[in-house]
Amino acid sequence: MDLEQLRKTAAEVVARDDVKYLIGWKKGSYGYRVAPVFVEDAAGVAELIFSPLCTANLTTYLTLVEKTPLPRGQEADKRKVALMVKGCDSRAVVQLLVEKGIHREEVIVIGCPCPGVVDQSLLVEKYGDTEEPVEVKWNGDGFMLVRGGEEIKIPRDEVLAEKCRLCRYPNPVISDHLIGAEVEKWSPAEDSGVSELDAKDVDGRWEYWEEQFNKCIRCYSCRNVCPLCYCQDCILDRLNPTWINRAVNFSENTAFNISRAFHLAGRCIECGECERVCPANIPLGKINRKMAREVREKYGFEPGLDPEAEPFQASFKPDDPEDFIL
Amino acid sequence: MSDNYEPNIVAFLCNWCSYAGADLAGTSRVQYPANIQVIRVMCSGRVNPLYVMNALQQGADGVLVSGCHPGDCHYMEGNFYARRRLGMLKDLMEFVGVDPKRFHMSWVSASEGHKWKEVVEKTVEDAREAGPFEGFRRRQIDW
Repeated sequence: MDLEQLRKTAAEVVARDDVKYLIGWKKGSYGYRVAPVFVEDAAGVAELIFSPLCTANLTTYLTLVEKTPLPRGQEADKRKVALMVKGCDSRAVVQLLVEKGIHREEVIVIGCPCPGVVDQSLLVEKYGDTEEPVEVKWNGDGFMLVRGGEEIKIPRDEVLAEKCRLCRYPNPVISDHLIGAEVEKWSPAEDSGVSELDAKDVDGRWEYWEEQFNKCIRCYSCRNVCPLCYCQDCILDRLNPTWINRAVNFSENTAFNISRAFHLAGRCIECGECERVCPANIPLGKINRKMAREVREKYGFEPGLDPEAEPFQASFKPDDPEDFIL
Repeated sequence: MSDNYEPNIVAFLCNWCSYAGADLAGTSRVQYPANIQVIRVMCSGRVNPLYVMNALQQGADGVLVSGCHPGDCHYMEGNFYARRRLGMLKDLMEFVGVDPKRFHMSWVSASEGHKWKEVVEKTVEDAREAGPFEGFRRRQIDW
């Protein structure tokens, strides 16, 4: 990754009159941490980084901006927002365009081809946590950890995030500026987690998910971090009708998790953020990837690739499968 | 499970076909199991997956959604949407471990009183096999 090129492009973009700010990643406060940064002028671009630690999907911020009613006579700020995206994040942008959550003229996409990011928890587990400033870089086929002047080579498979092992779109599918050359696609690993569960019988799966959903504390982190969960009026917050009670028990937790997974069926772009932020370590990725696989194999649809596509659940084909109908 | 266990089934029927079909079964004096509670909706495409889940949470052991045959929808295409959405819901629930026997979908037209009987018999039989769905209940509810 060419940081120089990134910062040069970013400086050019934020200098434009029609750009409000640029959303990117910067070094976090300590250790492996990486934080989002909103760059408003050319002075801020020096902070920008792109490294294997940039796991977060920044697309979320596009829809998080609160749009308060304007005083009479005042005009809305119509300036664009620039956004740094990896391959998976770019699919979220496309999906938002499909759903008209954002409009193409509102965003400038700065695409960063991504050879795969690291799973921070694996990194901490294998190489220990630290409060010293460290750097993680891509190094040929693997990663390089620079800590206190010492360079540690890490094999790729050791700390690669799970979503990246399964990744099919490492290059941004949409971009206005592409930073560096496109990376070579790797053959995605077989999704063993889903297949393993699929092989179990119904009761075995129920048992598995019972244990998982019982852990849920209903913090709704998964919803809040999800780039595609941006309904202004979410059924989880709505009291009348109360579809899902606020009580934290197995019944409500299961209803919540099923409805969220269903809401994302045909929309989830598999960025893995929900799983990453879950404080209870529920393997939410499995359930979302299963639905994505189902949609892909049964309906021949993949979300987040074509901005002109019809939303999956708001369209149909006359020859959709109906073998389940009595 | 006790021997005299009777499953509770909630059925969402579309106003134009399945509800009329069930009505025809009634007027034709077709005998079918009484385990079914019918809720009339204007179209099968109107059935929100949350309805299905809520029914299961509130004491149903099985859910049936029935609409017009594809191409016969009063609203031209409502049942096509239902087919896609509820088909996925069925896959999802199966993956989470809900017995696929608990959720059925069918096409019953206004003239198919006898098909309605078969559908209900199959749904009730399947729900009976699957047994009471206690794990997922919100609380104990007497129907």
